[in-house]
Amino acid sequence: MASDPDFQPTLRLHALSWVFGLSGAIKQMVLPLIALLFFNVRDDTPGPFGPWIVPIIVAAVAIRAVWVQLTFRYGFSPTGLVVRRGMVFRNVRHIEYARIENIDTERGVLHRLFGVAEVRVQTSTGGKPEALISVLDLAAVQEMRERVFSEAQPAEKTIEAPVENTLLHLTIGELVRHGLIDNRGMILVAAAFGVLHEAGVFVINRQLVDRVLESSSAAGLAALGLMMQIALGAITILGAIIAVRILSVVLAIVTFYDFRLTRVAGDLRARYGLFTRVALTLRTRRIQAVHQHESLLHRWFHRVSLNVDLAGDSGGDQDEGDNSRMKTRWLAPVCPASAAPALIAAALPSLDWSTEPEWHPLAPRARGRIFRKTALWSVLILTAPALWYLREGAIVAVLSCIPLAWMHAHLYVKYTRWALVGDAMLFRHGWLNRRLTIVPRDRVQTLSVEASPFDRRSRMASLYVDTAGASAMTAGIRIRYLPADVAERLAAALYRTAGATT
Amino acid sequence: MAPLQLSHVDSGIIGVWRWEAAIATLIVTVAVTAFSFSIPPLWPLAPLLVFIAGILRTWWWPPLSYRHLRFGVDDTGIAIESGVLWRSRIALPRVRIQHTDVSQGPLERRYDIGTLKLYTAGSRHTRIELPGLRHEDAIALRDALLAEGAGSGV
Repeated sequence: MASDPDFQPTLRLHALSWVFGLSGAIKQMVLPLIALLFFNVRDDTPGPFGPWIVPIIVAAVAIRAVWVQLTFRYGFSPTGLVVRRGMVFRNVRHIEYARIENIDTERGVLHRLFGVAEVRVQTSTGGKPEALISVLDLAAVQEMRERVFSEAQPAEKTIEAPVENTLLHLTIGELVRHGLIDNRGMILVAAAFGVLHEAGVFVINRQLVDRVLESSSAAGLAALGLMMQIALGAITILGAIIAVRILSVVLAIVTFYDFRLTRVAGDLRARYGLFTRVALTLRTRRIQAVHQHESLLHRWFHRVSLNVDLAGDSGGDQDEGDNSRMKTRWLAPVCPASAAPALIAAALPSLDWSTEPEWHPLAPRARGRIFRKTALWSVLILTAPALWYLREGAIVAVLSCIPLAWMHAHLYVKYTRWALVGDAMLFRHGWLNRRLTIVPRDRVQTLSVEASPFDRRSRMASLYVDTAGASAMTAGIRIRYLPADVAERLAAALYRTAGATT
Repeated sequence: MAPLQLSHVDSGIIGVWRWEAAIATLIVTVAVTAFSFSIPPLWPLAPLLVFIAGILRTWWWPPLSYRHLRFGVDDTGIAIESGVLWRSRIALPRVRIQHTDVSQGPLERRYDIGTLKLYTAGSRHTRIELPGLRHEDAIALRDALLAEGAGSGV
């Protein structure tokens, strides 16, 4: 569709692009490089290049980065954005203006120091960004945004002063809450343990253990008596928990500092980050589904978190050095529960929110089935370990499964509700972690009604409403234990509206 | 989805499935035989059981599977019903079809049968397969589905 084959892109990358190319490549190879350096220093018989191997690799990568920078050109042709890479193996990519959905930027500390940004140009094709331009200075990015979006929508020439309403701004207080709820520090600690374990830190050193055991502090600990020892242990555990929570809070502040969700000409824009500033455009017509998540801790703080699925975020193969689509598309990592409906309405402006949806329950016999299933599985799984560890106590442990299973079944059924409104399907589920998923009916991809032998015995079925833009596990709506006839009717209704040509 | 008229695919697919199952049985039986030869408690019961199970699978399962595989096309799109024990019916509006394949393996070619593969932009059902159509029928169905399916897909 390139109607202008003679067009030659002339614009270059920022003069310091190679620095980012180099640092990006080194970041990926940092572990092998350290290992190489380490072995070469320690080993008596170094490899062919001896201690020079690491500098040689770095130099080669730097030369490559400079080469990429020198041969990279981009330009604005009359019909689309043109990106040319390489000189020997030349690759010219032509992206029509009308198809460009997002121009996202990401700026780390280094980027901000030099006043540049990494630019991702995305289309609705899916998978990886159509073009990754690393790096441009901010004026060039602004120019690209203006050129692309003014060409894409020539009718809206009044782009000079786009009105930007702030829909949500997270203060430090909110971020502290998010850190406390989210507890991402735990993941970090687990990862750190993993790395340390790999590095051999936890290999038990006999001498060290003996020395610790024979030290005066160990003797003092032994003399404390049982109660004191238990108290000390509890304090240690409590301290660790608090430390992890504090780490989570710090992480939340670093990641989402100054989180700002704004609306510009119908589209949403999210900007956040203390060191790495991320600017994402969430075009509302690409939003496939909105998920609201509410854990126990969220409820204590009267907060919810909201994220969206964007078309093109799923599928495709892994792109090198690009993790943008692995990220959750946050509408709000945390927000007051009372603010959520307004934000959801902003994300799905085409939906009509005037009428309260009519919520429907699962099949009447679902509770019994869930109870039997949960009880059976927990007994099956627990019996052997319980007998092994508790002996006579096993009967208590196993029997206690039964009221717990009943509670689970009761709450599962109580908190699972679906609703079909004029232009969307809504689904709530989960009692400990409550989730609400909203799928606009014109975003439904496929409908699938599935029935296991157990389902058929009790005339039930599961309904899967598939949407684009998510992983197979989190996509769309999956309702189990529906009455079979309801599932069929629901699928038929959704099928008709999904297939209506727009 | 009640008004949709469902029909069976070509019965030649039973032959394809039988051949496939027979080949799989042969391979697994040979592997199990080789493995259990040196283990006294398994020999010769394990390979025998595997062989019998394979024969049953080859003879009984394809017709059952065939009986439960049905599809229907209407103005909106296509619905495919399948599964003997775990039954599923998937409905795909034609505006959601991204692209299609008609593929043919060597066994399918012998029976002049093709598999129609429909790709969507979805996340869980990104590829929906309808096996067992006669090759020309599969192509005709593909063309019929694509004729008006000029939607954006997302």
